[in-house]
Amino acid sequence: MKKYNLSKLAGGAVLAGLLLPVTSTQASPDAESIIRSKCLACHTEESAEPAQFSRMSHQRKTPEGWLMTIARMQLMHGLKVTDEERRTLVKYFADKQGLAPEETAGSRYAMERRLNTMESFESTNFTEMCARCHSGARVTLQRRPAAEWEHLVHFHMGQWPTLEYQALARDRDWMDLAFKEMVPELASNYSLKSDSWNQWQQMAKQPLSGSWSFSGQMPGKGDLRGVMTVSGGQGDQYKVKVDGEYADGSAFKGSGSAIVYTGYEWRANLTVDGVKMRQVFAASADGSELTGRMFESIHDEAGMDFTAIRSGSTPKLLSVQPEYIRAGSTEVLTLVGTGIGQKIDLGDGIKVVSELYRDDNKVVVQATALSSAETGQRKVKAGKANGATLNVFDQIGSVRVVPEFSVARVGGNGGSTPKYNGHFQAEAWMNGADGQPGTDDDMRIGFVPAKWHVEPFDAQAEADRDTHFAGQMDAKTGVFTTAAAGPNPERRMSTNNAGNLKVVAEVEENGQTLNGDGQLIVTVQRWNNPPLP
Amino acid sequence: MKHLKPVNNKAHTLTQAVADDQVEEVVAMQSLAGCTATTDPGWEIDAFGSVTSLCQPMESDLYGCADPCWWPAQVPDMMNTYPDWNSKSQDSLEDWRNLGTVFPADKD
Repeated sequence: MKKYNLSKLAGGAVLAGLLLPVTSTQASPDAESIIRSKCLACHTEESAEPAQFSRMSHQRKTPEGWLMTIARMQLMHGLKVTDEERRTLVKYFADKQGLAPEETAGSRYAMERRLNTMESFESTNFTEMCARCHSGARVTLQRRPAAEWEHLVHFHMGQWPTLEYQALARDRDWMDLAFKEMVPELASNYSLKSDSWNQWQQMAKQPLSGSWSFSGQMPGKGDLRGVMTVSGGQGDQYKVKVDGEYADGSAFKGSGSAIVYTGYEWRANLTVDGVKMRQVFAASADGSELTGRMFESIHDEAGMDFTAIRSGSTPKLLSVQPEYIRAGSTEVLTLVGTGIGQKIDLGDGIKVVSELYRDDNKVVVQATALSSAETGQRKVKAGKANGATLNVFDQIGSVRVVPEFSVARVGGNGGSTPKYNGHFQAEAWMNGADGQPGTDDDMRIGFVPAKWHVEPFDAQAEADRDTHFAGQMDAKTGVFTTAAAGPNPERRMSTNNAGNLKVVAEVEENGQTLNGDGQLIVTVQRWNNPPLP
Repeated sequence: MKHLKPVNNKAHTLTQAVADDQVEEVVAMQSLAGCTATTDPGWEIDAFGSVTSLCQPMESDLYGCADPCWWPAQVPDMMNTYPDWNSKSQDSLEDWRNLGTVFPADKD
C-alpha cells in the first residue's frame, strides 16, 4: 500500500500510528522531559511542580484524541519527536488527562471505529457547527475550559478559512455564533473539570491479567466464543492470546499485545488467523469485564461486538448462542460466561434435554422449547451465573437489514486507500399481539442466515447501472465488496464506481420468502482517515 | 431564488428538491460518523442523498475542492495543511494512485 510521504511535510519526522501503539515505552525518557525539550519552542511552562504547560495542561482527551493532537503538531507545526517519544507522550497525557469511563459513554463508537453510526445530537448548533465536517464524537470526547474551546475556534478559522462560506455557515454570522453560543455550550457540556474525572482519578486501577471468557458476534461469520489469556502488566502492557471458535466450528486463534490507558482504555493489536486485528475495549471499574469492538486493522468495517469476563469474577453469563429458539423445536445452545453453575434454567417452557459439553467458559446443551412455550424473552441462569437472555419465538414476522443505512467506499486498484466494504446482517423480528409487522409491539428475535443481493435504489441508479459497477454482494455472507477506486471509462463521464443501492435480505419462513431491505451508498475514498472520524 | 431559472438537469433537480423540502431530510440522513454534511458540493453524498450529483469522476475536479479545503476531514486540504499532497499527482485523472493517505498506517 502506498503511503503519503510525510517527511516532506513534517520536516523529516515520519509518523507511524494510525493505530495507537502498543509497544514498549520503557527505555524512553519521561514525558515531561520530552515536553521540556521538544514542545517549549511554542508552549510555555506555567509551573514546574506540579508540571503545568500552556494549552496542553488544560485539556482532557481519549488516547486517540491525544494521538491526533500530537500527530497534528508534527504535521502542521514541525514538532520533531520519534515514534517512541510520541508513544510516551500519548500514554502520559491519556493517563493524566483522560476521560472518565462515564464521560466516554455514548461516544465510544468513534474510538471503536463504528463508522456507520448515525449521529444525532440535541443541539442543532452543535450538529451544524461541529458535526458538519467531522464526527460529533471527535468533540464530545474532549474536555476543555471556555478559553481552550475559544482557541479551537480560532484554530479552525485559521486552518480552514473557507468553512465560513460553505453551506450552513454563509447563511449565518458564523464567528458570532461560534464565540457567543458554541463556546459557552461546549464549555458547559464538556468542561475540563468534572466530578467523574476527580472520582476516577482517586480509584485504584485494576490489573487486567488473567484468563478471560469472551463472546462475540461477527457479521458474515456468526457467533464466536473462546478464551483470551492476558499476561504481564508492567507499564500497563500485556501479552494477549485468543483461542476461540465460531458457531460453525471454525477456529479463531491469535496473539498480540495490549496497552491500557487511563486505567481502563484497553487497546490491543493482534494477528488472528493471519489477519491483523485491533481491540478497543473499556474495562469495568472492578477490572472484571471488558467490553467493546474487535475489528480488522486495515478493514475496520469488518468487526464485532465483543464482551469478556475474567475467570474468578462473580459468576456471569455473557451470552446464549444462538440467542433464540423456536417454540416446538429442539436446538443446541451454548452458554458463554464464567462460573457457569450446574443447574441450568432456560426459563418457562424450555427444557434442557442433555448437557453435551462443559468447560470453565462455556456449557453446550441440547434444549427443547415446548410448542406451548409462550413467546418472549427469557432470563437464563446457570447456578449463580446470570445476565444472558434467550428469545422464544413462534414465527418470523419480518426481517430488517442491519445497518439500515450505510456508506461503503471504493478503494484499492493501486491507490493508497483500501476498500471500505459493507457488512450486513438480517435481523428477524416476530409480530406482536397486533399480528402486524413493523409495529411497536414487535419482538426482536436475533440475527438469522439470509440470501443477499443488491438492487438499484432508484431509477437513476438503474439508468447508471450502479449494481453492475459499484461492487459485488456475497449472497451467503452479506458482505458487499466494493469496486475499484479511480475513474471508470466504461461509465458515463468516466465516473467513479459509486452507487446508490438497495440491499435485500431474503429469509425463508414456512415456505414464504420474507424480504428486508436497507440502503447502501457506495462512495469515493477518504485520504484523511484519523483514528477518530 | 425566484429570479433564478434552472437551465440544466442538475439545476432542475435542485429546484425540485428545494420545492419538495427534500434537502433538509437529506442533511439528516447523512450524519454518519465521519461523513461530511457539507453538500455544496458533497463528498460522500450529494444534496439529494445520492451520488449522481457528485463530481463525475471525482478526480476531474479534485484539486478545485481540495485546495480551498472543502471537506478537510476527508480530503487533505492543500491550502494550509498538506500543500504538497498532489506533488506526485499533478494530473489527478492520470496519477490519482499517487495520492497518499495522510494519517499513516501503523508500522508495528
